[in-house]
Amino acid sequence: MSETATPAKTEKKRAINRLKSMYPLRNLVQQDYVNTLQASNEGKPTVWSMLNYWEGDLPLKAMGLNIVYPENYATLLAASGAAEPFLDASDSDGFPTHMCGYGRSTIGYSYRMMKENNGKIPPDAPLGGMAKPALLLGSGIICDARFKWFQALARYFDAPEWCLEMPMMATFEGTEADLEDYQVKFLTKEIKDFIEFLEKLLKKKMDWAKLEELIDLATRIHETTWQIGEARKAIPGPMHSTDFWSSMPPALFFAGDMKVSLKLYQDMLAEVQERVRNKESGINFPERYRLIFAELPPWHSLKFFDNLAEKGWNFVFESFGYHNTRPLDLSKVSDPCEKLARFSRNFWFNIFPDAKKDGISNPVVETYLKIARGYKADGFFMHPLISCRAASCSLRTIQHFEQEKLDVPSLWVEGDIIDKRVFNPQEVLAKAEAFEQTMDHYRTVRKSKGLDW
Amino acid sequence: MVIATTRGLSKAHEIYADRGLRVRELRKAGKKIIGYICLYPPIEIISALGMVPFRVFGDMSEPITAADQVSTTVVCPFLRSIIDLGLKGKFNFLDGIVGAHTCDIGMTLVISWRDYVKDAPFSHLIDVPHTDHAPAVDYFEGQINSFKRHLEELAGEKLTDDKLKKACELHNKQRKLVRDLYDLRKSDPPLLTSVENIEVLVAIFSLPVDEGNDLLEDVIKEVKERSIKPPKKKARLLVWGPVFDNTSLYELIESADANVVVDDTCVGTRAFWADVKAPYNLHALAQRYLVDLKCPRTYRDTKHHELERNYDRDLDSRFNYIKKAITDWKVNGAILQSVKYCDTHGYEVPNLRHYLDTLGIPSIYIEHDYSERSLAPIKTRVEAFLETLG
Repeated sequence: MSETATPAKTEKKRAINRLKSMYPLRNLVQQDYVNTLQASNEGKPTVWSMLNYWEGDLPLKAMGLNIVYPENYATLLAASGAAEPFLDASDSDGFPTHMCGYGRSTIGYSYRMMKENNGKIPPDAPLGGMAKPALLLGSGIICDARFKWFQALARYFDAPEWCLEMPMMATFEGTEADLEDYQVKFLTKEIKDFIEFLEKLLKKKMDWAKLEELIDLATRIHETTWQIGEARKAIPGPMHSTDFWSSMPPALFFAGDMKVSLKLYQDMLAEVQERVRNKESGINFPERYRLIFAELPPWHSLKFFDNLAEKGWNFVFESFGYHNTRPLDLSKVSDPCEKLARFSRNFWFNIFPDAKKDGISNPVVETYLKIARGYKADGFFMHPLISCRAASCSLRTIQHFEQEKLDVPSLWVEGDIIDKRVFNPQEVLAKAEAFEQTMDHYRTVRKSKGLDW
Repeated sequence: MVIATTRGLSKAHEIYADRGLRVRELRKAGKKIIGYICLYPPIEIISALGMVPFRVFGDMSEPITAADQVSTTVVCPFLRSIIDLGLKGKFNFLDGIVGAHTCDIGMTLVISWRDYVKDAPFSHLIDVPHTDHAPAVDYFEGQINSFKRHLEELAGEKLTDDKLKKACELHNKQRKLVRDLYDLRKSDPPLLTSVENIEVLVAIFSLPVDEGNDLLEDVIKEVKERSIKPPKKKARLLVWGPVFDNTSLYELIESADANVVVDDTCVGTRAFWADVKAPYNLHALAQRYLVDLKCPRTYRDTKHHELERNYDRDLDSRFNYIKKAITDWKVNGAILQSVKYCDTHGYEVPNLRHYLDTLGIPSIYIEHDYSERSLAPIKTRVEAFLETLG
């Protein structure tokens, strides 16, 4: 499927008004892959890690380990149009085709490295590829694939694996007040055991001062990115979703040097605030509609956002799971493991109490209601993914409650994060005009009901 | 009632055909019926508090229509079928529903149930850790305790040690009886067909534990005494995979030259192979459900926190209970089946097939969408596979 109808050469101006501060953050991540590969060539171990909501990232970094994130690397494979040979390799080794596109990419990558290239990186791997792992850090957070696909990699690598735990707390049961200490206790013990494991594996002791320093840096990064998110509520929306996706890994994975990341996010905050003051939009066309993207984008076809920007569609928020919540004040917690436990747990715990007040059971639904109100959304772009259960399973209920409670309609377009064959950008454009009429209609309905957008 | 006059296999068939038959009667008589999803809610607590645990299944013959309003199509069709039936009022005999974070969609199903299915006002979701690490077992014990407290409110009584002990013993007895039932298929030919077996299992998931035990005892006696036996066939198969609560797959396989003699599925052995150990307390329940119950949804280290990994050792650590079943039931082929979009089972497939290869057991993998219609094309594949068994 072709990505867009309009060749870049003929564009007079870019449809999306990219933030200048996005580029160094994007480069930081790309450079991190190159640096990690270089370190591997010098004999230093590489860890393959899952998104773990930081409870694993920070101990690994404090131990001086180089980390790559296969799920992030899979997005690079998709964005550079290089994913298909890796997906095919996964299929040929017997893994079902409906499974996570990120997982299939990694499995295919591992298969090609170990079964076809004698342990060497496949020659068509972007950014030089990922070095062979010395440790696999799986995680039970958000989705089953995060630990099952790393477990399956034992087929190719003899690297040890640790599967990190995280209580699944975003439920009525999980927010009973007397359960907080018990959840923190569990998570703290899990982190302590993980660190003990790292110490044995690396034959060196944890640098606790370094870990404390990194937790502090992480807190400051999250405070900054949270402020960026808040600033994006402005009209017109000052930062397009594509800028968020391009710049998120240093806050989501803490990829790269965290001191550098903090400075770059501070620059981004300053640029976004400057835009807010100047009423400068994230698109180079008048903002006609404010859209929320739920949940993960088609990394292979991001160009179609340009076509929508030309129509005045500004994507002002996106992908709630990739955003952090405002950090807690943990200055009174002395044990670094407990501090880390509370820091990580904060993301899941904080999203639920409002849902409880509204009487909605699904915290993701409530989160998106809050987002729709805060960012004054005209519509939702729902993107159910053929290969991702976790990011797709709540979309129908989000659609239902956004419509029922806020009169915010949704555009429903099926696709995938990695497999471009199942996403049709032309379908979006074909549906766009009718959806504009729908958004116009509900804008009137909302106003008639006293809502302020 | 017809149910009062039938016994053994006939009774199992009758309940299999109308799963709510007995629990509707019991509810009219004042019993509370608690539906539970998958294998992780500790049903001993439900029984101990005088309620009836009712395993909730979908319906492979019912097209999924209502579920589309609350669920995307790219998730487990078995769980979609459950919420579909719930939305259609087909579980209106339940007083409550208990789910667990057995998988992403299993958890979301319970959450959606709360917002959309209003028949059963009580609901509880149990968080299940992803590993069997020691802190995880302690955490899970706390989750069971939370469930116990919530259910005590519904029951209007406290769970005593004695009641829990009695319930554990009754459920352990049921597990032992099911293992005895499976022993009837160790002979060649087996004394029981897999179709009969699944009907009995689905029936006991639909009855109070003591009545299920009576049924099992009747069935075992009847099968041992009957003169007509299933025919001897070329293949003795093991079926592996997530939930399969319907006779159709087994009918399809046994219509060819094969007997299914054992399984590793959520409706079969997984539910019954592990007992709760004494002392029958909440920690013992946590140990039984999180550690001893073997399901791919739990990550297991070969040895906790080991610094080196070896693929073959890893596979043997995870799957050697299947090797034992293959030996004990004299299996010569395996059918790996999974409902589409089941990630926890999907990632196992190439590794389990490799393990079976090392044991000299040929296997095929088939995927279906939890509808009877989707099985028809599979028949050809199964027949072709049986040809390869020589």
